[in-house]
Amino acid sequence: MTGKTILVADDESHILSVVSVKLRNAGFRVVTARDGREALEVAQHEHPDLIITDYHMPELSGIELCRALKQDPETSNIPAIMLTACGYSLEPHDTENSGILCMLSKPFSPRQLLAMVNEVLQKAAA
Amino acid sequence: MHAQSRADGGSMAANQPHISATTDSSQTWIPSTIQASLSLHSHAAGLCLLLIQSDGSIQHDAAASPFFDRYLIPALRCPELAGNQLLSHAGKLTARSSPTAWHLVPGVAICAVPYVERRQVQGVLALAAKSGDFSLGEDLLRLCCRLGLDATWLRQQADILPAHSLERLANQAALFLSMLTDRLRQTSLELEVNSLSTQLANAYEELTLIDQISGGMRVNRRSTDFFRQACLDVMQVLGVRGMGVALRTEKTHEEPALYGELVLSPDQVQRLAIQLLLTLDERKSCFLINDLAKDKAYGWLSGSASRLIAVPLLRREQVLGCLFGLDKLNGDFDSVDSKLLSAIGNESAIYLENAMLYGDVHDLMMGLLHSLTSAVDAKDAYTCGHSERVALLAQYMAAKASLVDAQVERIYMAGLLHDVGKIGIPESVLQKTGRLTAEEFELMKRHCQIGARILADVKQMEDIVPGVLHHHERYDGRGYPMGLSGRDIPVMGRIICLADCFDAMTSNRTYRKALPLEVALTEIRRCSGTQFDPALAEMLLQIPVDHLHRLLRDPEHLAAKQLLFQETTRAA
Repeated sequence: MTGKTILVADDESHILSVVSVKLRNAGFRVVTARDGREALEVAQHEHPDLIITDYHMPELSGIELCRALKQDPETSNIPAIMLTACGYSLEPHDTENSGILCMLSKPFSPRQLLAMVNEVLQKAAA
Repeated sequence: MHAQSRADGGSMAANQPHISATTDSSQTWIPSTIQASLSLHSHAAGLCLLLIQSDGSIQHDAAASPFFDRYLIPALRCPELAGNQLLSHAGKLTARSSPTAWHLVPGVAICAVPYVERRQVQGVLALAAKSGDFSLGEDLLRLCCRLGLDATWLRQQADILPAHSLERLANQAALFLSMLTDRLRQTSLELEVNSLSTQLANAYEELTLIDQISGGMRVNRRSTDFFRQACLDVMQVLGVRGMGVALRTEKTHEEPALYGELVLSPDQVQRLAIQLLLTLDERKSCFLINDLAKDKAYGWLSGSASRLIAVPLLRREQVLGCLFGLDKLNGDFDSVDSKLLSAIGNESAIYLENAMLYGDVHDLMMGLLHSLTSAVDAKDAYTCGHSERVALLAQYMAAKASLVDAQVERIYMAGLLHDVGKIGIPESVLQKTGRLTAEEFELMKRHCQIGARILADVKQMEDIVPGVLHHHERYDGRGYPMGLSGRDIPVMGRIICLADCFDAMTSNRTYRKALPLEVALTEIRRCSGTQFDPALAEMLLQIPVDHLHRLLRDPEHLAAKQLLFQETTRAA
């Protein structure tokens, strides 16, 4: 799993730092974006193996980002993990037509996120 | 550079200059990535970069022009030619020195600047350049001869390089220094961000764990379940091989437990628990041992584990128990672990105290309930123990009917209190030996409503009122007080009705002797569907006769009854 590229998109820099450090320490290559629009550009350019995105972001929400990526054949296979604000839950139809496979509510356990990342990547590889 | 070597400039010169190429993997005072980027800039400017460490060793740019590589560097290697001069100059630099350039060897200008951090000279950066006055003069030819160098070749090499005046070189050095300072600051800031992010990640971990554990802090949950879950959760986050709990509570009599892959014998767990509680009585805070083999008190554990961490469950200076972890999967226990475990310890102590208080209140309430039912039963010597038996049988049936645990407990209570309304019925009616007159029977029937009214005032009893009010309803609708039928009768009422009738038939009454169990069961079957809910009646009939007998008539079974009662109430 190491050496895979993961795009982390969040407008809160502390989340970005926590997730990046955790993933880098686990041997992943991490690219970051601070809003949905930037994330879309980075994803189209870098073709990451996985995207971890916040739900609420300026320019483009996490859902809009994932739907946009899903529509582009170049990026339609990239799986995504969505981070949501505390107490916020998404209905199944919210994640329709997106690559979102899992959701994690903030404040999340970084250990749990890492386990989720490995699981999603393993599934994607299978 | 140390203050001492700065004061005594000659100390560096006394040593043989140690020169190595920057490609060496040896440790320098600046990271190799920054070194590489500085080298790149010095190449572009036709300069040679030298880094002088506080121990007097000099690193030079391995890829510098052959002019430097074959001429300057060999000269530096000879202490008397240039090495001592450079080191002596470098040693004299202080935090306030400004860049000054001079001619080190014929045709070569050099400028050394100190890199200062926290008012200390950390190292010296030097730039060498072809000087403006480069010519094949007498000095230069002599030096070439000494170094075995072809002067014409050297001149050809020099021709390609730009010449620097001393002033320009000093400016370049100042520029390099500020570049280096910026880069180093950036690196240290990056490290800081990394370390803060790691701390933040730990805090997140802690927060989610505490969140998870407080989610499981319902006071009426069995403490064994709570602590097992807490141990398993903490085990994941701390990454330990074994996580255990030891409680010191008179009420619960919980055995110490150890979860995880690390296995100790029950005796060892017991011994560890007792010892930990004694240690924590004195220390009252988290403690960790990372080398058990060397520990006098806990050395006996070293056969099974090598590291130990323990935290007290502390309330009002009292150690109620402790949580302990054994053997981390990687490395030693550290302050992050102790901080996390302490937070969990605090949280668990609050739970434990609440659970104990809840237990006290619960015990008090049950004690009061039992005295109340005894008082009711005492009005009529023949019904002695009736309420308790109805409660037990109703509880047993409720459990059989797969009602949820909480409801099973409430049915037990409703059973205990089903006849509490008899307090309001005259003893002349209750204890009458003959048949009741129609008037007396009407009076008797009122005990359901009286009981319901007594309980309705107690908020905690509201939910058992239906069991008390409706325990004389009949399935066919011909019962009292409301004449409800079928499924309209609350399930509590239907269950207690069966238990009540069954116990009444099998007990001695003022007006008749007890019926044998078998006869009573036949009667239940006969009235199934008319008086009783047929499904519940069938369930009662399925209970083996000897089991019923033991449940209701065996005085020696009392202890077991109590146990059954405790089990179900705890599980709720």
